[in-house]
Amino acid sequence: MYDWIIANKELCKVFYLLTVAVICTIIVLKADRLFRISLHPGIRYFRNAFFFYGIAFITRYFLGANFLSAYVNFNPYLINSLFEFFLIMAGFSLFYSLLWKKFESSKMAFSSLFNFKIIIFYFMAFMIVILDNLWGTYAFMFFSQIILFSCASVISYINYKKNGAQHKFLGFYFIAMLLNLFAWSLNALVALYFNWNKIMLMNVYVLNIIIFLLFLVGVIKVTKVK
Amino acid sequence: MMKKRSRLNVIKDIIEAIQKNRHIKPTRLLYASNLSPQMFKEYVNELITKKFIMLEIDEKEKKTFSLTKKGQEFLQEYKVLENFVENFGL
Repeated sequence: MYDWIIANKELCKVFYLLTVAVICTIIVLKADRLFRISLHPGIRYFRNAFFFYGIAFITRYFLGANFLSAYVNFNPYLINSLFEFFLIMAGFSLFYSLLWKKFESSKMAFSSLFNFKIIIFYFMAFMIVILDNLWGTYAFMFFSQIILFSCASVISYINYKKNGAQHKFLGFYFIAMLLNLFAWSLNALVALYFNWNKIMLMNVYVLNIIIFLLFLVGVIKVTKVK
Repeated sequence: MMKKRSRLNVIKDIIEAIQKNRHIKPTRLLYASNLSPQMFKEYVNELITKKFIMLEIDEKEKKTFSLTKKGQEFLQEYKVLENFVENFGL
């Protein structure tokens, strides 16, 4: 099976892109509808997280796809840097959606993509991309995301302990955050210690799809009208 | 001390009070909403403008508030929203 996947790498990439893009689009649309009713900042950042994930994957797997290079040739460094930037921003947004109450009132900033706090995230993401480019590594991105999802796992565990009896889904969300942490750690290991081993990398991709599906199932379940 | 309600919570409380009573007098709604008269006026005007509630005046000039279809839909959406926020810990 691994041989088949490696032989049909481009096809698998398209499948991977489409799956993630469709999942992100559904989540963004569902969260956006709820945001427009409520103007709730937490929902806004949650929606933004999947917006950034969607943009990141489209940048990496669509603009960087081989079949497109026959028509347009994008600079691979630029594509990788943009992919990294949006991926980091997605992680920050997801993390901040759990934490916004500590820093903001429910009175919202005018824009969730361009406000002072988010500009700090943009700056940090930009710095991480620059550092990774200078060192010719992805280590800064991996470590930033591992730290981020470790904190997000702790926060979602505290939420689960506090309100898990009434809201069973909080436990499920905690597991999703742990899986995210595991996926980033595994990705870091594959990249930094196993020289991008293809078979291990495939497992990371599968794990990523499972995580996105978990989020999708959660969003659909929670937004279902009873 | 009671936690300050969010704008959305206040709207939900007003609409829910109307739904429970079907036709509710302004004074009773003011008590039920637990707002100052000034704030109450602002919220009610907004809800009327957004067509979530209606102000009805009968032949004896008695005023009552009732819920529109849009208001009922809002309550339904609010439950989904509350579920979303609480289940994701947002």
